[in-house]
Amino acid sequence: MARSRQSMGVGFFDDEDGDVSFGDGTSSVGEMFGNGGCGKTVASGSSDGDGRMVDDGNIQEAESSLREGLSLNYEEARALLGRLEYQRGNVEAALRVFDGIDLQAAVQRLQSTFSEKQQSRRSRSRSDSQHLVSQHAASLVLEAIYLKSLSLQKLGKVTEAAQECKSVLDAVEKIFQHGIPDVLVDNKLQETVSRAVELLPELWKQAGHYQEAMSSYRRALLSQWNLNNECCARIQKRFAVFLLYGGVEAGPPSLAAQIDGCFVPKNNLEEAILLLLILLRKWYLGKMEWDPSVMEHFTFALSICGQTSILARHFEEVLPGIYSRTERWNNLALCYSGCGQNKTALNLLRKSLNRHESPDDLLALLLAAKICSKDSLLAAEGVEYARRAVATSQDADGYLKGVGLHYLGLCLGKQAKHSSSDQERSRLQAEALKSLDEANGLENRDPELLFVMALEYADIRNMNAALRCAKDYIDATGGSVLKGWRLIALILSAQQRYSEAEVVTDAALDETAKWEQGPLLRIKAKLKVAQSLPMEAVETYRFLLALVQAQRKTFGSFRNSFQFEDDKVSEFEAWLGLADLYSSLSYWKDAEICLEKARALQPYSAAALHAEGSVLEARGRALEALGAYANGVSAEAEHVGCKVSAGALLRKAAGSEWESLAVARSFLCDALRLHPASGAAWFNLGLLHKQDGRPADAADCFQAASALDDSHPLEPFNNLLPSS
Amino acid sequence: MISEWESPISRAQKAILSLSDVLGRPLPESVAYSENHALRLLHDAELCDEISARLRLPSSGAGDDTVCRWLYDTFHSMDPALQLAVLRFVPTIAGVYLPRAAARRPLPGYEAVLLALYAHETTARGDQPVTVTVPDLCRPSVYHEGAGAATGGELAVGVISPTLEPHGAVRATKRARIVGVALEMYCSKVCLMPARSKVDFCEFCLAWAGPTSARDEAAKEGGRIPLPWELIQPSLRILGHCLMGTSDAGEVQDKAAAAVRGLLARATLDVDTRAILATRSLLRAWEMAACSTKRWPDLDFLLEDPPSEGDATRELLPSPSLA
Repeated sequence: MARSRQSMGVGFFDDEDGDVSFGDGTSSVGEMFGNGGCGKTVASGSSDGDGRMVDDGNIQEAESSLREGLSLNYEEARALLGRLEYQRGNVEAALRVFDGIDLQAAVQRLQSTFSEKQQSRRSRSRSDSQHLVSQHAASLVLEAIYLKSLSLQKLGKVTEAAQECKSVLDAVEKIFQHGIPDVLVDNKLQETVSRAVELLPELWKQAGHYQEAMSSYRRALLSQWNLNNECCARIQKRFAVFLLYGGVEAGPPSLAAQIDGCFVPKNNLEEAILLLLILLRKWYLGKMEWDPSVMEHFTFALSICGQTSILARHFEEVLPGIYSRTERWNNLALCYSGCGQNKTALNLLRKSLNRHESPDDLLALLLAAKICSKDSLLAAEGVEYARRAVATSQDADGYLKGVGLHYLGLCLGKQAKHSSSDQERSRLQAEALKSLDEANGLENRDPELLFVMALEYADIRNMNAALRCAKDYIDATGGSVLKGWRLIALILSAQQRYSEAEVVTDAALDETAKWEQGPLLRIKAKLKVAQSLPMEAVETYRFLLALVQAQRKTFGSFRNSFQFEDDKVSEFEAWLGLADLYSSLSYWKDAEICLEKARALQPYSAAALHAEGSVLEARGRALEALGAYANGVSAEAEHVGCKVSAGALLRKAAGSEWESLAVARSFLCDALRLHPASGAAWFNLGLLHKQDGRPADAADCFQAASALDDSHPLEPFNNLLPSS
Repeated sequence: MISEWESPISRAQKAILSLSDVLGRPLPESVAYSENHALRLLHDAELCDEISARLRLPSSGAGDDTVCRWLYDTFHSMDPALQLAVLRFVPTIAGVYLPRAAARRPLPGYEAVLLALYAHETTARGDQPVTVTVPDLCRPSVYHEGAGAATGGELAVGVISPTLEPHGAVRATKRARIVGVALEMYCSKVCLMPARSKVDFCEFCLAWAGPTSARDEAAKEGGRIPLPWELIQPSLRILGHCLMGTSDAGEVQDKAAAAVRGLLARATLDVDTRAILATRSLLRAWEMAACSTKRWPDLDFLLEDPPSEGDATRELLPSPSLA
């Protein structure tokens, strides 16, 4: 019988089907005392009618008859009686009976028997039986106090209930100073202890004593109560939930609980994560049943502190049969994308969006489209996902359709940038704008959409429309996003409205904190250059460099976790910009110094080699300049600037011994393939055609160049897109 | 200004007296003549409602706003109980301030209070971020024995709140962070806040999320704002407390659940993966808790045969796709 009770674990003792049944009022036999001294006892229960009428007089009467009949002491008799009342639901009567129990006296008595026992281990047979007697006595009294606590709780006296419950645990610690003996212990006693341990923190919580709740949870988990797995897991889970959501900062566990080299959580979230990890492992090892809420709490905890890569690992470890394949892949994709591992996330989404799996999962489609929209090589794939998302959301929710259209437009625009033919490019661009427009009609003021539209309009050189969208973006975000300010300034610069662009940049500098001002200062310096104010530009660059260097010194490792890295200006860029400026002023020495600094930061950079080439070219050292450009192309095969400059230089060299118009042309065409909006490339190609005797082609090129020159931003708009 | 050397009682008294000036009427006796003014104030629903209503006026938040001024001075009293009373209004200030500031209105009154909170927290934290070290179970901890050999690698460190830089003014790009820190402070004291204050917060969260479906007419009134992680994260921690914290039932939980649903829909619109994971798991965890027990905390599990939680909730799991 005892075994069955224990194997239930979470089961209840003393319920009506239990082995020690007093509940039904008829007389029943209980093996209260296993030794011969008391033998089987018959508790002559009163009939139903009498039971309800138990009052103080009856209690005393019953108590004395119990004491005489069963040679129980005063406390034990009361405990038995009280339990009887409790089981009948007479909570108040039970409480009156329990009130008469002097726990301290009982503890002292039991303590002495138990410590005697410790010493007289040798006389085994006698001590074992005696041991059992006192264990039963202990069990009886402790259970009585536990039931007293429950009675108080039922009557709404929660604080008193908690105090009684606590006294059970205190008593257990006093009686069993050497821990509860594992083998000999009576199941009943263990069960009472477990229940009291489990109940106490809940009572403190209910009473609003959160600090006590906290320490009683820790006491439950850190002391040796010999709890079974299920009970321990329940306490761990409740404690984790309390730590996660309770809003009570506990401070680390006391020093007494710490052992050298072991992990001690230093705040609530850490402690909660530790407990949830332990629970998950218990489940992996088959020590407890799967509880889906543990995984949800764990997900919440880890995503709150941005550790979704660890979360992904645990989703991978979840045993089969809990999540469906696609659910697991989608969860993993969310985790990996959340920590910036978009490639991994996309691979997982590809699996789950396979037509044999769940090809219409809207969130998966949108996430896949979003990831693809950041990479021009994936844009075509992204278009597919976005189209499917739009089709899927057709009948579902208009708002999600808007999101689908948003990413469709973004992917189409990205695809257009890398299309091989002009015709296809303009078709894709038109389609992109159409999707974005449609999305704009559906979505309610989503700022990101406005930003994307502004960029798309800027790409097709519709600067007025781009400016309108960019202004709307600033309004929608309240100017709180740096890239919005940069976008407006660049659009204005593309319209050659430099002074207005500078006003905007200054306004933006007012709205941004010191550390984010780098990109704005860089634009400002370029604006000064464009307005032929070189000395002011130099001043701005100096300011920028000071900022960047200060930034590098004060960067803690945690500072940037909320911001994206691309808001930062690299010191390298600043030196390069300044080198350009000095060389345009023919301050060769200064330009050299700046280049030296830049090279020290990035030795094999195409941009630095390009700047070096320009300086050399301006100083008339054409061959060396060509070498620098060529090295630049080797360092970065797609560097447009180096190709244009190399092509232009080779064209100019016509007539010299290294003349090669064909090579020049291939450089320029290559540059245009990579960057069709490069005015300089068109211009040089025009010159080349003219030189080669093809005036009609030359005229076309010059026309393209002049059209582009009118709308050339100071920095490419692409800089504003987050790098994938 | 309230000087440093005054006793806490007289400081509290002064703050309470000046509040009656601000409101233009004598305060209720229970607050004015109480032993513990600040605590009474915190829990006086009528008085708090009046202050909240004043904060919500279309004209409030200006430089000469007396309520903001009072909150600012009271917070500077450095009396923890009074500061608690100020924190009670963080939801209202954040909720009213963010949409108005996004419309680029100058609101120095609100900003003064927010900056006071921010500066206090900046000093309190020093140069340290708030972080979480994710334990590795191979190493033993206070709650378990290590299994196998420790991997020896560095433990992953998650950031709950990055280092605070001092700010003397609210710049647009730092607005969310400054309000977010005020929310973090509120979060750290949320278990002491009255239900009304939490309900306010939940309602504002829902408004911030904005309309999230074409059918969602109620939310179309406006209030939608950009929700960067630095706002979502502390908001979710507060909402988590409202849902599964210690003492709230009824209205707070219902409003919080609505707010989390709104934020989940918004996170889906933004395809913001971190926010989706956090809101979705919070909502699911709450739904599971609500299924397995009636109200939390609940001691029924100790009084009757407990349902085995796994079985009870497995069927009720929300669908894995969009919540």
